Amino acid sequence: MADEQLSGLATAAKYYSDYGSRARELKSMGKKVIGYFSSLCPVEILTAAGVVPVRMKGNVSEAITRADAYMETMICPFVRNVFDAAIKGKYRYLDGMVMPHQCDSLDRTSDIWDYNLGFQYYHFLNYPHLADDPSIEFTNEILRIFIGTLEKFTGRNITDQALADAVRAHNNNRRVMRELYGLRKEDVPRISGAEMMQVLIAAVSLPVDESTALIRRVTEEVTNRAPGFSAKKARIMLVGDQIDDIAIVNAIEGTGAHLVMDDLSVGSKMYWDDVAETGDLIQGITDRYLNKLKIPTTFVSAGNTYEENLEARFGHVKSHIKDFNVDGVILFIYKYCDPYGFEVPAIKSYIESVGTPVIYIEDEYSTSSLGRVKTRIEAFLEMIAG
Amino acid sequence: MSEIRKPRALATQAAGKAGKFGRANLAATLKAKEEGKKVAYMYINNGQDEIVRAMDIVPAWSENFAGVCSAKRDAEKFLQKAEAENFSRSLCTYATCTIGFDIWREELGEIPPNTPWGGMGRPDMIIGSAQQLCDPRIKWPQATQHYLRDVPVWMGTMYYPPWDQISDHRDQEELYVKYATEELRALVRFCEQHTGKKMDWDRLEAIVNLSDRTWDVFIDTYELRMAIPTPMDTGDAMNTMVPLTFNLGTQEAYDFYKELYDELKEKIALKKGVTENEKYRLVWGAGLPSWFALSDFQYFNDKGAVFPVETTYRNAEKIERLDLPKTNDPLEHIAWRWVRIWTHWYDKARKRPGSLPKVERIIEYLEDYHCDGVVFHCAYSCRSWHAGIIQQEQVLKKAYGDVPTLIMEGDIVDISSYNEVDTHNRIDAFMETLGAMKRKERANSAGP
Repeated sequence: MADEQLSGLATAAKYYSDYGSRARELKSMGKKVIGYFSSLCPVEILTAAGVVPVRMKGNVSEAITRADAYMETMICPFVRNVFDAAIKGKYRYLDGMVMPHQCDSLDRTSDIWDYNLGFQYYHFLNYPHLADDPSIEFTNEILRIFIGTLEKFTGRNITDQALADAVRAHNNNRRVMRELYGLRKEDVPRISGAEMMQVLIAAVSLPVDESTALIRRVTEEVTNRAPGFSAKKARIMLVGDQIDDIAIVNAIEGTGAHLVMDDLSVGSKMYWDDVAETGDLIQGITDRYLNKLKIPTTFVSAGNTYEENLEARFGHVKSHIKDFNVDGVILFIYKYCDPYGFEVPAIKSYIESVGTPVIYIEDEYSTSSLGRVKTRIEAFLEMIAG
Repeated sequence: MSEIRKPRALATQAAGKAGKFGRANLAATLKAKEEGKKVAYMYINNGQDEIVRAMDIVPAWSENFAGVCSAKRDAEKFLQKAEAENFSRSLCTYATCTIGFDIWREELGEIPPNTPWGGMGRPDMIIGSAQQLCDPRIKWPQATQHYLRDVPVWMGTMYYPPWDQISDHRDQEELYVKYATEELRALVRFCEQHTGKKMDWDRLEAIVNLSDRTWDVFIDTYELRMAIPTPMDTGDAMNTMVPLTFNLGTQEAYDFYKELYDELKEKIALKKGVTENEKYRLVWGAGLPSWFALSDFQYFNDKGAVFPVETTYRNAEKIERLDLPKTNDPLEHIAWRWVRIWTHWYDKARKRPGSLPKVERIIEYLEDYHCDGVVFHCAYSCRSWHAGIIQQEQVLKKAYGDVPTLIMEGDIVDISSYNEVDTHNRIDAFMETLGAMKRKERANSAGP
């Protein structure tokens, strides 16, 4: 169980700082631990298989020293950083790994992970980039193949009941996280962006029920905080893929702004939509990950006009801006990221069209350029303040 | 002392003619409006070109346009145009070059001045393909539509079973083929909707059949390059790939390779090679070339090194070797062809412990074409073809042996990434390695 002696926030901070520590404990108790990339990974299936899913992350403060001998430098800096950690043995506790087909940097390096890390279990989950009817049918089959490989690896069947329980548990997890997000709508959010980031990261390193319990404890604690009173500060939303460190959050909040919302793949993208609990669960999982999850690698064809298509792609960002009373948006995109990079002009103009200023920052997955980033954020906040 | 830049010599007459295909393809997109035809932006190796040909839609090959701008060293103005719109320099420069052109054309209402080869016509539709291997194939059409808002985008897919050392890909092939076939069927519906015409299925079948024969004659022709000295190298192949890549399903493409076949046969009979003194034979192991620096092939040739074979743009195989299941559905046939083009290396790779399909292909070429080493090119802006090259090099050495290798670095379009002196220094060093290896082989074969 999670550490009951510490407060929820302190527990989250501990799991954030010593990432994977709970998974290592569980491993020592005989549990199998599976690492995975991307918000596309259907964690419900891993939970139903009885393994501990751990989202893989890197360390922005650690320079890449070994990955360059295996991976070209034009691959996503986040992926290279995580591989650097893995090749240095930081994921030695994993029994296996799932690599969803999100982008080229994952697809084209899949052999490198499989070949060099020697996990007992490795699965490339070949998601399509479309969500039309043939793609839905294909994905249902791809998920069944995935289930088959897990059953073979664990030596036990994933029953319908186990899958239903896992779907319910993860929906519950998403629901409590959404409740915690809701506390950021106040003028002075009950939870800071840095605290929230620690909770988000801790949450994806724990078995789902422990994760849910931790989020509940944090929610209870911060709800009991006295409402804050302070001078009006800019309310910022952060948009990007896997930004999983408080360094950038501190850079934003250190300038006197509140980070009140995100559209990140470790953040709200993970928690805003559930899997339908009735009907065919596999179909429900496919629908959740292909249709509901908003990531740029899944092509959205909805809409009769380009403007309608933009609504289908980015309408959730507009809702977040309204619901969380956002004053400005930071698009923080990693260098060499084609899926997010090609969206910049469209999403930037879309957000600006609703009257919200946007700054686009392209950067590495590293704190080495943090000073420059901070200067740009400061200038942006001054501009918002008018 | 500065080097004297020599224009690249073409070993075959066919390579010289290939450029006319590219120019004619671009011109066709400009003439299409007068002829009442629809123009579609398209992306290569998508399995969709035969459908488009059968529907009389004129394909505008965006990669071709960007490659021409690069080869003319005239892409920078388009790259800057895209960059000004916040498209990062680190993104695919085929895409950013073309998007820059599109933005400019929309601003002017006409083709921007001095656009290489007259530019491309404004499309009536954009046909993308979410292939296994290229994110820009899905993002580029969307990004283009941001500036051409009235132009409809259609997106299809063409995936193949992932490589796995222990599981048999055949268990999944039918699933992938069924999926790809349904996507092609959806493309037919899209084309019918936007042209107001019905698909002529007999015509499509004839085109598919012609494509099969083109693949066959292409491979027959390219395998003539096994001859010593080789009659044609990769420097030429970067031109002769044009009909296969951009004109598949046309009689002209088939005829081009028939003609090239005859030309190579004649060269072989005369023992006429790419260089007068062929010292080293190399595999172009992976990577799109720096189109603005094709003269580097000449630099290799001048040092007695030739490339009888390349993996790049050799996206074809003898149909009988693919062992395609029989079907009366031309769309299913296309799907099988494009799935098997990837999976037909899997069995071979499985037999060699520690190997990979891509590496197995290189090993096959090393042996069949009697090559001494492998050269790769890593383009910084393209992850789809260039991520994983280091892995291929390492696996090759581990699974096969200590083959001399060289990884060059640059880009496909962005000339600012290229340093000619550094590139030539690397090539010189590689030549010394090859020379040392040859001397060692000679000493070993001479015996004690």
